[in-house]
Amino acid sequence: MSIEVQNITKKFGQFAALDDVSMQIRSGELVALLGPSGSGKTTLLRIIAGLEFADSGTVRFDGEDITGRTTRDRRVGFVFQHYALFRHMTVFENIAFGLRVRPRRARPSKEQIRAKVHELLKLIQLQNLANRFPSQLSGGQRQRVALARALAVEPSVLLLDEPFGSLDAKVRVELRRWLRQLHDEVHITSVFVTHDQDEALEVSDRVAVMNQGRVEQVGTPEEVYHYPATPFVYNFLGNVNLFHGRIEGEERAILHDDTGGDLVYVRPHLLEIRRQANGEAHFRATVKHIHSAGPLVKVEAQAEWGERVHVEMSQEQFRDLQLIRNEAVVIIPRELKVFQKNAV
Amino acid sequence: MATASSLSGEILTVPTAAQPATGESALVRWLLTGAAVLFLAVFIFLPLGIVFAQAFAKGLAAYWDSLREPDALSAMRLTLIAAGIAVPLNLVFGVTAAWAIAKFEFVGKSLLTTLIDLPFSVSPVVSGFIYVLLFGLQGLLGPWLAKHNIQIIFAVPGIVLATIFVTFPFVARELIPLLQAQGQEEEEAALALGASGWQTFFRVSLPNIKWGLLYGVILCNARAMGEFGAVSVVSGHIRGLTNTMPLHIEILYNEYQFTAAFAVASLLALLALTTLVVKSAVEWRARRQLADSARWEGEKGTA
Repeated sequence: MSIEVQNITKKFGQFAALDDVSMQIRSGELVALLGPSGSGKTTLLRIIAGLEFADSGTVRFDGEDITGRTTRDRRVGFVFQHYALFRHMTVFENIAFGLRVRPRRARPSKEQIRAKVHELLKLIQLQNLANRFPSQLSGGQRQRVALARALAVEPSVLLLDEPFGSLDAKVRVELRRWLRQLHDEVHITSVFVTHDQDEALEVSDRVAVMNQGRVEQVGTPEEVYHYPATPFVYNFLGNVNLFHGRIEGEERAILHDDTGGDLVYVRPHLLEIRRQANGEAHFRATVKHIHSAGPLVKVEAQAEWGERVHVEMSQEQFRDLQLIRNEAVVIIPRELKVFQKNAV
Repeated sequence: MATASSLSGEILTVPTAAQPATGESALVRWLLTGAAVLFLAVFIFLPLGIVFAQAFAKGLAAYWDSLREPDALSAMRLTLIAAGIAVPLNLVFGVTAAWAIAKFEFVGKSLLTTLIDLPFSVSPVVSGFIYVLLFGLQGLLGPWLAKHNIQIIFAVPGIVLATIFVTFPFVARELIPLLQAQGQEEEEAALALGASGWQTFFRVSLPNIKWGLLYGVILCNARAMGEFGAVSVVSGHIRGLTNTMPLHIEILYNEYQFTAAFAVASLLALLALTTLVVKSAVEWRARRQLADSARWEGEKGTA
C-alpha cells in the first residue's frame, strides 16, 4: 500500500514540529525518516499511524484520504521505540492480542490464532520463549516480539519508531540486517524513524532526511550520501569538514576566508595527507592527533588558518606515511562540495 | 580509610569485626529499638489489648449478646450499606479522575488535583456541616427537598454522602503516580492493534494497575467503615435508624455500657487488623508493580 502525506503541518504550542511536509512512499518500499532529535520525524510517523493528528494537510493510503480516521481503522502495524509490550501478558498473548480483540465475526478461531502466533514466533526465532513475560526477555528479543505482534494483524503498512534505538550497538546491527531480510521476504510498505545515519543508509530503499520540521531531501541512500541537496544533508550524513572560503582555479584550491565566502564541505576520507604537494592544490597543516584503533586511521590536523581538520586513511596508507605528531604536512582535497553562502 | 592512611603515612588499624561504616554501638542500637518498642506498646498495643480485654470482661456470652442486640445489628447494617455504596462509587470516580489527570492535559488539571485532596485537608466535622448547610431544613436546598418529601440530613442518604466525601481521595491518590509512571504507550499499542477503548481499558490498562487499585480500595473501605466526624454531624444519632458503628460505640460509651461499647469496638479493631494484614500484602504487590514500571522505564532510558 502506498502512503502519501501532503502539506502536513503540526504545532505543539509555539513549536512547529512539522512545517508543510509532503512526501510519497511507494508500495512495498522500506523508507527511513532520518534526522536529529526534534526534526519532526517521529511526529510524522505518528501522524501516518493516526496516533497524532495534523493541524492541516492530508494523509492518503493508496490514494484514499484517511486523514480523519483513527489508528484502529487504519490497519497499521506500529512498533514503538520502547517496545510497549503488554507487561502482564506472555509473549504468546502479546502476539495474539491483535487477533483476539477483533469483533467476534472477524476473529479467527483459537486454533487459527495459535497457528498464526507460532508461525510468527518462528519468523522471529523465539519459538521456545512463547510463555515468557516481557520482563524476562532481552532488549533485542522484546523488539522482535513487538514486531511480531504488529505483523500478526497483517497490517497494510508497518511503521517503526526508532526500532533499534534502545539496543546496544551489536544487537542493533544484527537486528537491522534481520529487518531488511524480513522486508525482502514480506514486502510490506514500511517506514522507520531513526537518527542513526548508518542504520538509514544500510537498511532502507529510500531515505528522507528531515530537519526542523521539514524534509530536506528524499532519495536512495546513494543519492543522499553522494549528492546531498543541502548543507544540512551533507553535514548529517557522515563525518565532514567544513571550511569557509572560496574555491579558485582548475585545481580547486581552498582559499580560506573568515569573513565570508562559501561553505566548503569535504569528507574526511576525501582528504589526502602528503609531505609534498607535487603541484596539486593543497593547504598546509600540522598533525595534532592520531587515532589508529579501528579499520581506519583518523588523523586530526590543524590547518594553516588554525581550524581543526579531520582526515581518514587506511591503515596501509598510514604505515607508508609514518606520520608523527606535530609534523608539518600538506593536505590535498580530492573532492569538494561547495554551497553558496546564501543557500544556507 | 585507605586514602586517609596513605595521606597521613600512618597505618590505621582496621576494626576486626565486619562492622559497616554506618554501624552503631550495641548500646545505641538497644536504646533506639527499646524506645520504639516501648512507644508502640504504650500507644498502640496496650489500647488495642484493652479494647479486647474490656469487650470480653463479662465473658463470652455478654460479648455475644451485645453484638446481637438490635441497635448494634442495625448499626452494623448501616455501616455496611454506607461503605457498600461509597466504596464502589469512589472506585469508579477514583479511576476516572486518576485517568484524566495522568493521561491528559487539560485546563484546570491542577485545580482538580487539589480538589481531590480537599477531603484530606478539611476536618471531617466541617465536611459534615457542608452537607447540613446544603441539604438541612434551613439549608440551601432544604426547603425544596422538604417540599418533595426527600430527607437527606438525619437519614441514610446524608450518611452515605458524607462517607463518599470523606473517602474519595483514596483510590485516585493511589492510582495517579502509578498511571503516570506507566505512560500510555501500551494503550497506544493496543489501539493500533485494533482494540476498542473498552478492550484497551480492561485488557491492558486495568491489569497494569490492579494492585494499586486494590490497595486504594482497601484504604477507602477502612476509612468508610470507621468514619466518625462527618457522619456524626449528618446522622442525628437516631438509634436503630441512623447510627453507624462508630456512632453506636460512642452512645454506648456515654451511657456507661462499657462492655457493649467495647464489644462493638472490637469488631472495628478486628476490621482494622484485617485491613492491615491485607494492606501489607497488597502494598507489597503494588510496590512491586510500581517498581516494575520504574525499572521498565529505566531500561528505556539506557537508549
